[in-house]
Parts: sequence; structure tokens; C-alpha cells
Amino acid sequence: MGLSLLKRLRTGVTPYALLGISLLALAYLLSAATQDSSRLNDLFLLIFGLGIVILAILIAILSRSLYKLYRDFKSKKEGARLTLRLVSLFALLILVSTTIVYSFSLHFLHRGINSWFDVKVEQALNDSLELSRTAFGIRMRTLLRQTRMMTGLLSELPERDLNHNIRELTQLSGAIELSLWSMDGQLITTSFENPDLIIPSRPNEAIFHQLEQQEDYIGLDPDHDKLQLRAAVRLPIKKASQEERFLQVIFPVNAHLSSLGKTVQNAYTDYKELSYLRKPLITIFTLTLSLILLLTLLASIWFAIWISRRIVQPLQELAAGTQAVASGNYNTKLRSASGHDEIGFLVRSFNQMTQRLTQARHATQNSHRQLEQQTNYLSTVLGSLSSGVITIDTQHHLRTANIASSKILHINLQQKLESAIEKLGEHHEHIHPLTHLIEHHLNQDGNWQQQVELQHKKGLQTLMCKGTILPNNAGWVIVFDDVTTLLQAQRNAAWGEVAKRLAHEIKNPLTPIQLSADRLQHKYLPLLPEEQTHTLTKLTNTIISQVEAMKEMVNDFSDYARNPGLQCQPQAIGELIREVLALYQSNASHKFTLISAPEEMILNLDSTRIRQVLHNLFKNAIEASEEAQLAVDITLSYQQLSIDEQQWLEISLSDHGPGIPDDMVNTLFEPYATNKTKGTGLGLAIVKKIIEEHHGDVWAENTEPTGACIIIRLPIEEATP
Amino acid sequence: MPASVIAKIHIIFWLLLFSSAVQSESFQVSSAHINKIGNGYILNAGIKYPLTPRVLEAIDNGVPIIFSQQLELIKSTPLLGSYWQWTETLWTTDIRHEIRYHALSQQYILHAIDTNTQRNFPTLRVALQALGQIADLNLPPEHFEDTENLILKLRSGIDLYALPTPMRPGALISSKWQLTSPWVEAQWD
Repeated sequence: MGLSLLKRLRTGVTPYALLGISLLALAYLLSAATQDSSRLNDLFLLIFGLGIVILAILIAILSRSLYKLYRDFKSKKEGARLTLRLVSLFALLILVSTTIVYSFSLHFLHRGINSWFDVKVEQALNDSLELSRTAFGIRMRTLLRQTRMMTGLLSELPERDLNHNIRELTQLSGAIELSLWSMDGQLITTSFENPDLIIPSRPNEAIFHQLEQQEDYIGLDPDHDKLQLRAAVRLPIKKASQEERFLQVIFPVNAHLSSLGKTVQNAYTDYKELSYLRKPLITIFTLTLSLILLLTLLASIWFAIWISRRIVQPLQELAAGTQAVASGNYNTKLRSASGHDEIGFLVRSFNQMTQRLTQARHATQNSHRQLEQQTNYLSTVLGSLSSGVITIDTQHHLRTANIASSKILHINLQQKLESAIEKLGEHHEHIHPLTHLIEHHLNQDGNWQQQVELQHKKGLQTLMCKGTILPNNAGWVIVFDDVTTLLQAQRNAAWGEVAKRLAHEIKNPLTPIQLSADRLQHKYLPLLPEEQTHTLTKLTNTIISQVEAMKEMVNDFSDYARNPGLQCQPQAIGELIREVLALYQSNASHKFTLISAPEEMILNLDSTRIRQVLHNLFKNAIEASEEAQLAVDITLSYQQLSIDEQQWLEISLSDHGPGIPDDMVNTLFEPYATNKTKGTGLGLAIVKKIIEEHHGDVWAENTEPTGACIIIRLPIEEATP
Repeated sequence: MPASVIAKIHIIFWLLLFSSAVQSESFQVSSAHINKIGNGYILNAGIKYPLTPRVLEAIDNGVPIIFSQQLELIKSTPLLGSYWQWTETLWTTDIRHEIRYHALSQQYILHAIDTNTQRNFPTLRVALQALGQIADLNLPPEHFEDTENLILKLRSGIDLYALPTPMRPGALISSKWQLTSPWVEAQWD
């Protein structure tokens, strides 16, 4: 509680109010203490000391405040410059005004006090004192003579008559008191005008001393409020043995004269005392005035600092708030100024402004968030699309590309954003037809749709592209689909249908034809003359062999057309390859090289159909080499590969044959795509079909210097149970 | 607030501020004797009053100066020999005199404030001599029944608080006005 009270007293207006009250109280006390009649004048020094202490405290506080202000100014704190300017202005104003007031006050103080004194008055008082002294001097000389006469008379009288004669002399002279003293201070006799008095006034040591110097004494003797004259005269010594004595006579002074004398005395003394006190009086008033002025001055400057800070504070907050708003913090809210002045209005307006800015920002953020959501939504949709979607700006630069586009084109387009389409085509040769097509259509208005074929190492890739202009001519969106598989499937389906019809329509009449030809030979051979039998035999054999060939062809078609479904089971691939290879190694002129994988791989596959694949490939390679009259040198390798986190089995079979003609590379795996004299042209088509049924991939490449290579890839994980 | 308390506060305050101030020659109790007269006791003492020019100037300019002669009768009971005594003040008195210059008569008036009697002297020196002579001052008999461990101390000084207001602050801080004598113990005769 005490701490909170102390804290409250240290902050806000309280210390200034307390200081103001203290200063007023101190000024009152100092003013009261300098007044002569005040009871406080005993405490003047204490109050003055208190003032000095307050002054020291005030200097300390002011120094601290000024240092703080200077530090703020040096560190370029907001509002420090304005505060300093205001304080300087206030301080200058206070200094000028107080200096003027102080100078005039000091001037009037000096003049006021000095005006109490006048040379003429002083001279008049001196003269009146001198006049009084002269007046009393005449009287004193008369009385001295009278006293001398009395001493002459008394010296003539015998000792016994002294008392009586002194009483008579008292009455005759009108003296207040007559007393006879010995020179050693012993009272011999005395007489009073007033019979109530019994003790005479003893002459002081100076009178004794003067009398000892043989000088008579006469003097004015102030006695409380009245004046009297004291005369002391030695008695003449008649005999040497006679004791030395003196007579002291106290004469009254005329009441009027006494009153006048007292008046002159008081006036003179008062004037002299006042004149003497003039300097300390001026000093005290000057000191008091200076102290009060200094206190007022320092307190005013302190107050000026406080008021300046109070004025500047809202502006300072406003500046800080403006900076905060400028740096993007729109939530800044200033403490609402209580005043109804322009600053209060400014602060309220600022708060309204920031409130509106905050609302606007929230609205923008919401819009932005919605936009982001929309973008994410679109990105997700685009990402999940199997179609490639790219956008191109008006400068023909790639702006966006979805994942499918990268997969279809086999380029990471995400890393090529902002690249020119033309440059992309130059850097990636295989997509050049596509970029060329896009460039071509970008230079023309309107939406477009066109098919394009890209040359890929696995073969031709057919893309269906569609270009649409974005709203506000912001660019184009190109959507393309890889329709290679679709086209292949369509062709396969067509071929399948053909094969099925062929098998159905042709196979049935073949056996009767063959049997008929056979019967023709057996029935009519004996009937024909010798020279014609050879012809018949030749013709029937031709029919039979051609029908046999047709049967084989039909069987091949039948194999191609049928779709019995896979019967997969785990199979060691190396073992399977070696089994098939063993069948071909019986021919010594054929050379086979098997490069095995370091570890045996077990795959889930239909071993019968994979055997057929291998047979077809071996057969194809041997036939190709033999037809070209080249040595049969076949290398078969299999290994495990990891592509895009997918494990693959890659089987490659390469020969040193004539290779694949360029015009056949893209159609090698299609039915009837053959340049061989023998065969149905369905071998590689069946290979492709079986591999695709195993979700694998197959393609052909020419090898250097001669030969071809068939590469099969089968997924491992999918096949492994 | 009693004058003595004010005086103490002032003395402490100004001693702290002006501790380095040079002290002038102060008043001095040259002799103090207690004599037994009959059943009673009297004090005879002599005090020297060497006045500084500042004080003399004030008197010559008509400023009345109050001289104070303070007496204290103390009963001192030793508790730990001479190291520690239990002291009890039995009686105190303050004899006050005023000296002022009477310009018309050219006399210095010595006014005993307590008895309202006055004596006039043609010179200040004589007046101060008269002031400094305490002769046959009767001491209160009720405290002198047992004179063992009885101590009478006296000192004298100027009452600065009786000075005119404008002079007072200057006098209070000036060493030229700090003339109070040290306490002096009266001798038993």
C-alpha cells in the first residue's frame, strides 16, 4: 500500500502539484520570516536552509530531466527534437520574463529601502541631537556651578552639621538627591527630595576615576523613561588630615525638556539603527527574492519540460503509430487522448484510420486466403490430372506446369518455369515438335487442337494438344494427353479383331483343303502318267505346305487374339532364362552370352508366357542374323534397376545383326511390322502384348556399330507377393 | 518551539555548513567562586567580554545587545568512578542584561532585564566591566543542603535571537558574533 502510494506520488500531476504547493508554502514562510513582527523570524535561517535544500533537489531533478532530454535528442528518439524546441522556447520565455521581473524587483527593493534614508533628515537629526546636548549643556554648567557652590559651603561646615545642611541644600537646590561620598566609595550622608527613598544612586567607576583625576563630573543621566542630571564635585580640603570627599547631586530635568530629549533620542537612535540595518535588510530581501526567483525559475523550467513532454507525447505516439502502420502493422491503436483539442481529434482519427485499415487488411487477407485455397484446389486438381497442363504468358514464357506434364514430356518442367518455350524446344530435342507447334499457334489467334508426335527413345509418343486463350489475353493454357497407349490399344484391338476373324474364317477350311490335297495326291498319283506325277506331287505338296504355313499363321493370329489371363506365380527369373537359353545352345555355330544379375530375383509372373516372350526374342534375333548372313552372337543380360523409387527387372537381349531399319523403329512392335522373309510379323507384337499384360515395358534400340537391342522392364514389387 | 531547541537546530545546521569558519576570541569566565556566607552560599565571578568590531559597531549604531549569563547547578553522582557519572540538573537560571548606547547623554546603559534596574556608564569598557562582575549572587539554599558532588557551571554569551530581524541571519552564521564562552565550573571556597 505504501509502495503504491509512493508510486502514485511519483507519477502524473501529483509531484508537480506537491512541488507547487511546497513552493507557495515556502514563499509564504520566507515572506513571513522576513517580517519583523512575525514569530517565524527566528526560523528564517531554517526556512532559508529548507529553501536551499529544495533548490538543490530541484537542480538535481532538472539536471536529470535535461540530461534525459539531451540523451533522447542524441539518440534521435521520436518527439525529442520537438520537446527540446518547446522546452527551449519555454525556458527562454521564462528566463526573459523572470529576469525582467527580478531586475525591476531588485531595483525597487533597493530604491524603496534607500528612500527611507535622506541626508537632510540625517543631518536634521544630528543637529537636533546636538541642539539638545547644547541645551542640556547650558543647564549642566549652571548646575555644576551650583554644585561647586554647595561643596564650598559644605566644606566650611563642621562634621556634625553636615546632615542637617545637606537636607536644607536639597530643599533649596531643588535636587532629587544629594549624597556625600568618600573617595573610596563609602557613603557619608545623603538626602532625598522624596522622603520614601533611602538608598542613594551610587556613582559609577568612571565618575570615581574622573574625580580622582581632579575633574568634576556633570552628565545627563537617563533613568528608564526620564532624564536627570548627575553632578559630582570634590569637596575642597581644608586640612591635610581631612578625608577626601565628593558631593553627588542629582537634579531633575524639566518634564517638557525631558520629553523633548527623549523624543530626539528615540528618533535619532531609531534612524541610526535603521540606517545601520539597511545593508543586512537589503541583503536578506535580495537573498529571499533570489531564492524564490530561482525556485520559481527552476520549477517553471521543470514544469515546461513536463508540459512539453505532455504535449509531444501524443504526437510521439502518433509518429510511432504512423511508422508502425508504414511498416505494415495496421493493428496499432493509440491511447485515446482525453482532451477535446486538435491532438485528441488527431489521435481519434488515427485510431479510426488504423481500424479501417485493419478491416481492409483482414478483407484482403481473407481474399488472399480464398485465392490461395482456390489456387491449391486448382493445383491439386491439375496435379491429379493425367493430362499435362501448362500455361504460357504473353511473352511466350512457361508460367505453370502440372506434374503430369513433366511425366508425359519426361522433363522436370517445374524447374523450367519462366523459360521461353522456344528455348525449351532447343534444349530438349525430343519435345521440339511440341514447342514448335505451340509457338506456331501462339502467333495466331483463337483456340486450337492438334495431334503431335514426339520421338522418344522408347518409340513414338503421340500427344493430343489443345490450346486455349486465357481471359484478358493473359496467355494460353495448353492441355495435352499422351494418347500413344490409347492409339496402341485401338490398333491392338483392331488387330485382335482381324486375328480372331482370320482364325475363325480361315482355320476352318484349311484342314479340308489340306486333307483334300492329300487325298488328291494319293488318289490321282497312281492314275497319272509318270511325267505328270512329279507335277501333281509338287502341286499338292505346295498346297499342303502352304496350308500348313497358313495354319501356323492362323495359330499365331489365334495366339495374338486370345486373352486367356495371366497365371502368375513366383518364379526365379535367372532359372527361367537359363532354361530357355539351354534349348538354343545345341547349335554350335550360335554364340550366346548370359550376363546374370549378382543375386537371383524372384518375380511373380506367368512363366509360360514369359518363356514365349524369350523364345520369340531369341528366334527373332537368330533369324535376323541368319537372314543377313551374319554370325549369331546374342548377349542376354538381366539386372535389377531402381527408377523413381520403383524396382525393375531389366532384361536386354542384343545381337550383332543388321539392326532395325529407321523406318521400323517406331512400328517394330506392331503386327506385321517385319522385313524378314519368314514369319508372320506377329512375334514382337505378341512380346509387347505379354509384357504389357505384366505391366512392363518393352522397346528396341539399335546398338553401335551394328545390331539391335530389345529391352524389357518388368516391375519387381508389383509382381512379388 | 523553545528558543533553546531552535538554537540547537541552528547551531547544528550552520556548524555543518560553516564548520571551517574561523572562530574569534570568545567571552571568558575568568573566575568563579562559591562562598559560604552564614547558612547560604553566594557566587562571585568575573567574566571578560572582548567584543568584536562587528558587535561594537552594532552597539555604536544604537542596536541594543542582550548579554546572557547562564548558570547551571548539577548534581553529579559517579557510577563508574570518573568514567561515567549520573548527572541531574537541579537548577538553572539565565541572567540577562541589555547594553545600549544613549546618544543624547553619550552614555552606555546597562539594563538588568530581570530586576529592571539600570546603570549608566560613560564608556563601553566600563559598562562591560560592570557587566562582567557577578558579586554576591545568592544561590538557592534549598539545593545547597548537601554540597557533595554539587557542580555549578556558568557561561555567558550574546542572545543573537534578540537582535533585530535583518541582522539575525548574518549574526547566526558569522563567527564574529559567536562569542559564547565555554562552560566553566565554579570553585568552592
